[in-house]
Amino acid sequence: MTVFDRRDLLAAGIALLGAELVTPLARALAAEAVPGFSASQAQFTPEQRAQVAAISERIIPTTDTPGAISAGVPAFIEMMLADWYSPQERDDFLNGLGVVEGRAWIQYEKTFPALTPQEQDEILTIAMQEHLGGDFFNHCKQMTILGYYTSEIGCKQERVYVPVPGHYDGRYPYAQVRRVFSS
Amino acid sequence: MANYDFDAIVIGSGISGGWAAKELCEKGMKVLMLDRGRMVEHRKDYITEGKGPWQLAYRGNLPPAETDRDFIMAKWGGANLTAQTHFYNNDRLNPIDYENSKPFRWVRPNQVGGKSLIWGRVALRWSHIDFEANKRDGHGSPWPIDYDEIAPWYSYVETFAGIAGSREGLPQLPDGEYQPPHPMNVAELWVKDRLEKAVPGRKVISTRTANMTEDKPEQGRSRCQDRNMCARGCSFGAYFSTQSATLPAARKTNNLTLMSDQVVTNLEYDPKTRRVTGVRVVDANTNQAHVYRSRIVFLCASAMSSTQILLNSRLPGSDRSFADSSGMLGHYIMDHAFRASFWGTVPDPALEPFIAYGRRPNGVYIPRFRNLNGQDADADFVRGYGMQGAAGRGPAGAGGFGAAMKEAMRAYGPWTIRFTAFGECLPYKDNTLSLNPSKTDRFGVPLAVFNVTFRDNEQKMMRDACLQGEAMMKAAGLTGVGSINEEHVPGDAIHEMGGACMGEDPRSSVVNRWSQAHDAANLFVTDGSQMASTSCVNPSMTFMALTARAADYAVKQVKAGAI
Repeated sequence: MTVFDRRDLLAAGIALLGAELVTPLARALAAEAVPGFSASQAQFTPEQRAQVAAISERIIPTTDTPGAISAGVPAFIEMMLADWYSPQERDDFLNGLGVVEGRAWIQYEKTFPALTPQEQDEILTIAMQEHLGGDFFNHCKQMTILGYYTSEIGCKQERVYVPVPGHYDGRYPYAQVRRVFSS
Repeated sequence: MANYDFDAIVIGSGISGGWAAKELCEKGMKVLMLDRGRMVEHRKDYITEGKGPWQLAYRGNLPPAETDRDFIMAKWGGANLTAQTHFYNNDRLNPIDYENSKPFRWVRPNQVGGKSLIWGRVALRWSHIDFEANKRDGHGSPWPIDYDEIAPWYSYVETFAGIAGSREGLPQLPDGEYQPPHPMNVAELWVKDRLEKAVPGRKVISTRTANMTEDKPEQGRSRCQDRNMCARGCSFGAYFSTQSATLPAARKTNNLTLMSDQVVTNLEYDPKTRRVTGVRVVDANTNQAHVYRSRIVFLCASAMSSTQILLNSRLPGSDRSFADSSGMLGHYIMDHAFRASFWGTVPDPALEPFIAYGRRPNGVYIPRFRNLNGQDADADFVRGYGMQGAAGRGPAGAGGFGAAMKEAMRAYGPWTIRFTAFGECLPYKDNTLSLNPSKTDRFGVPLAVFNVTFRDNEQKMMRDACLQGEAMMKAAGLTGVGSINEEHVPGDAIHEMGGACMGEDPRSSVVNRWSQAHDAANLFVTDGSQMASTSCVNPSMTFMALTARAADYAVKQVKAGAI
């Protein structure tokens, strides 16, 4: 889906001066050749990748809108670990992940992804309340929230994305959307 | 004109350079405009415009390691945001220097259009009070011009640029030629109503901004679409920039030659005729040097760059700049102090049903209220500050995790309002920009060395802004009121000014009342370097007005055969 569609622009009552405007706005955005869209090198073992995916999906599950996995949050977290975090931050995250996984083994003798959703929530609740692995839970929660609400699904399906608002209304009834406008 | 390559050379293509090129071209001069940065064409080169967060590298935030390596100063202006990183100078490739560990944050652009593409767009006029300030309290050198002389030029540039704002009739913030203001939201109107009643004399107004609320079809520009992506470039041309406004006008005359990637190292000067005879550039890509010649030169490279170029323009056989017969070149470097903020929460449940639709490009402004009629009895500082802010409500935070958290995050938090004060910095002669005697950059230009600090007056002013701000928020009935007064680092506000100050007396100033160098009649310095004081309001409209006025004067002088 292109961000700017001529039909959308016209429907929004946009004041367009000159047809040439649409072309730059409708610039194809796929297939980016710049860094920052996927991890430059793998940070997770396959097991860790499954664990992070399962944890992120419990933090933001699929409800009436898609959850963290559909929104690509696990790959976002791996990219951040690879290309954004300091080595210390990366180690802290991976250590914390190991502690939570260890708790799943102690409690259920299963790996975290193999647990039922209820069991996973129980482990995460313990991680949250007992600060397992340092502050792993909050860390992972913040990363999941950031990755989810900056994803296309998060912006467009969970929140309401209006690329060209066309005007400003500082007295807009929340009841008309019952969602948050993404920016 | 066989001796000249062009009638005029304009150095720099930002807000001032763009205006100089437009005015000179429209008056029939053949103009060469030079910029040290790369070419950016309107629309075509706004490579991140319209992208959602998921389409931005690193979802919008440059990795800290890269930020700290390449944008150690530019990050303070937003270079750390991947939507706009490409519009900033690389501080590793183009470094600066400090003296005595006194940091200065010189946030520089890296393209044709300069900071006009990434500016904050606040469009305010100076007042009588501002132009008289140096004379009244004795700091710096007195301005040789007053508000009445500049007012018609403000009108001229405002009309072309397209400024949205309300007319308020305030002597300290004169009204201009405005399109309708951008609307305020329910919380801002709530605060305005209560504050203006509770504290007579205080005003909360829609920030006057160079984002249009009406189309300018004659310029091919549309009104603002409330995307708030201005700093990525705007294909609607809704905000004033070189690319959207002055460059098309200059090109339309067929009198403009624009060259990007040309780093001006120095001006050549003939002491016998007391004229600038050439502009020396180094091509940023090939390192080839070349000298261009013109009858007149407009130096609009930005306040600090223009000062640096002038300092590096030596008299033959001397290490002294030709433009420094006053000894004032490089002195009186200033910036606004702006790390004092205050905030509060609107407690009225009547506002709860409302949110904001659209992303407005401006906010609200509290005009200066301190020391307006002489010195306030309870003020332990001279001059004053204005306050820029906005009210908004973000997504509600939520504890825990899972479906309940996700659902809770579909709601909004409370309406909060936050302001930041912009304080006038006094002109101090020993706040200087000089040249490093031994270190040069990759183009052979001596590194700029900053020795600039804020002083007692600025610190007291910022403390007062926090106290007054909190008192105002409480008087208006807000809850959760707080303030913070962080470290004020010069350069931070990106309102750097001074270095080639204007004045009547050639013994104590660098340019005269026409922005014309005392030491070279064919040189005009019309950007922020000419400023003899800073006012507390954002400076760009004044740079525009002074540039247009200087261009008018210069062409008249050329036609009269005087220069």
